[in-house]
Amino acid sequence: MDKKTIHLTLNGEAREWRVYPNELLLNTLREQEFLTGTKYGCGIGECGACTVHVNGAPRLACLTLALACEGADILTIEGLARDGKLDAVQEAFLGQSAFQCGFCTSDMIMMTRALLNENPQPTETQVRDYLRGNLCRCTGYASIVRAALDAAEMERQETA
Amino acid sequence: MREFELLQPKTLPDALDALAQNDAARRPLGGGTDLLVDLRAKRVQPDVLIALQKVNELRGVARVNGHVRVGASTPIAEFLKHPLLTPYRALHQAASVFANPMIRNAGTIGGNIGSASPAGDTLPPLLALDAQIELVSASGTRTLALDDFFLGPRKTARNANELIYAIQLPAKENSSATRSCFYKLGLRQADAISLVSVAVWLAREGEKIRDVRIALGAVAPRPLRAKRAEEILRGQIFSETNLKEAARIAAAECSPIDDLRASAKYRRRMVNVYTRRMLEQAWQNL
Repeated sequence: MDKKTIHLTLNGEAREWRVYPNELLLNTLREQEFLTGTKYGCGIGECGACTVHVNGAPRLACLTLALACEGADILTIEGLARDGKLDAVQEAFLGQSAFQCGFCTSDMIMMTRALLNENPQPTETQVRDYLRGNLCRCTGYASIVRAALDAAEMERQETA
Repeated sequence: MREFELLQPKTLPDALDALAQNDAARRPLGGGTDLLVDLRAKRVQPDVLIALQKVNELRGVARVNGHVRVGASTPIAEFLKHPLLTPYRALHQAASVFANPMIRNAGTIGGNIGSASPAGDTLPPLLALDAQIELVSASGTRTLALDDFFLGPRKTARNANELIYAIQLPAKENSSATRSCFYKLGLRQADAISLVSVAVWLAREGEKIRDVRIALGAVAPRPLRAKRAEEILRGQIFSETNLKEAARIAAAECSPIDDLRASAKYRRRMVNVYTRRMLEQAWQNL
């Protein structure tokens, strides 16, 4: 099978990709763009490590064909900070030291960002429910949930 | 991963043309949350995938001739948001425990039906709600009861040249004297495959059960209506004795298997428990 050309927006910049029909978005991001913040965990949609935003919604890059992303707007962890300033979610994760090995950190941050875009003031139950598909094998959930709630509070104060 | 060609038609006629070869090596692709996993595990070996996400005719939720029509490519996430779908409580509850938000954004209702897993989360609610399914091919459309669509594990009445077009949900569920509910029993709260799932739809008339439908997931080769249990209850008083008997019969009607998640015996016992609980829950909320 031959590569085909697609056009899309990646972290706010226009991109032209040459991709195979059976190529996964996850592989294009990591091996063509060298954006390795998006992790390859289980590869079958059960761990959440490859979570990115596609057209504003969280999606699993391991279950997304790159060729189907023609015209899409994709955001990865590398595109979250703006003009050298970390996103509130990133600041909150730092504040809570919400990582142990760090493997799930990118996906937890991207997922928390998606949650706060949908629901700026979630309860703890809503945070836990939204992050249900993102696994932390160090089991560091308590600080991750605290960080998500902190980020919501930081953004509430910013807009107040 | 196996090499394949990816077609991305933008209209329904183009998609049907692409399928018209009537060839098992061509497969429609919805959200990809089942098919791409199967591809990587080499459980399916298609030469051509026909991606449906750009086909506008397959999307959208609308009220049509008194029922609510949901296009096959509608993602599961829509069931949690769309005002026309929230009255279908059993389906709404199934969507809220369906995998996780990333999978719900990609996975579609047509895909969940087409995959025809005995444990598919939306299938018992759709059966309990008496959904109809529309199939479309180059030669036209046909509509059948969803109950007639499932033939066995991953086997359906869809011909290779057909696409799932839409599901239709009858409007009567909206009336105040009916109620539906759903419960999924898994080994953990998140991302679990059902051990047992139970959906119930119930219509009340005074102290009697005017009509009832009970559907069971993960306890038979296909999602199953417990029709003999329904017969026990239909037109009868809502009583402890009738409820017990219906739950006992529902457990006898299914044919669960032993696997790594649970034993057949446990599953059958849980069908009894949750059939009864769902009937009570539906009744108490009327």
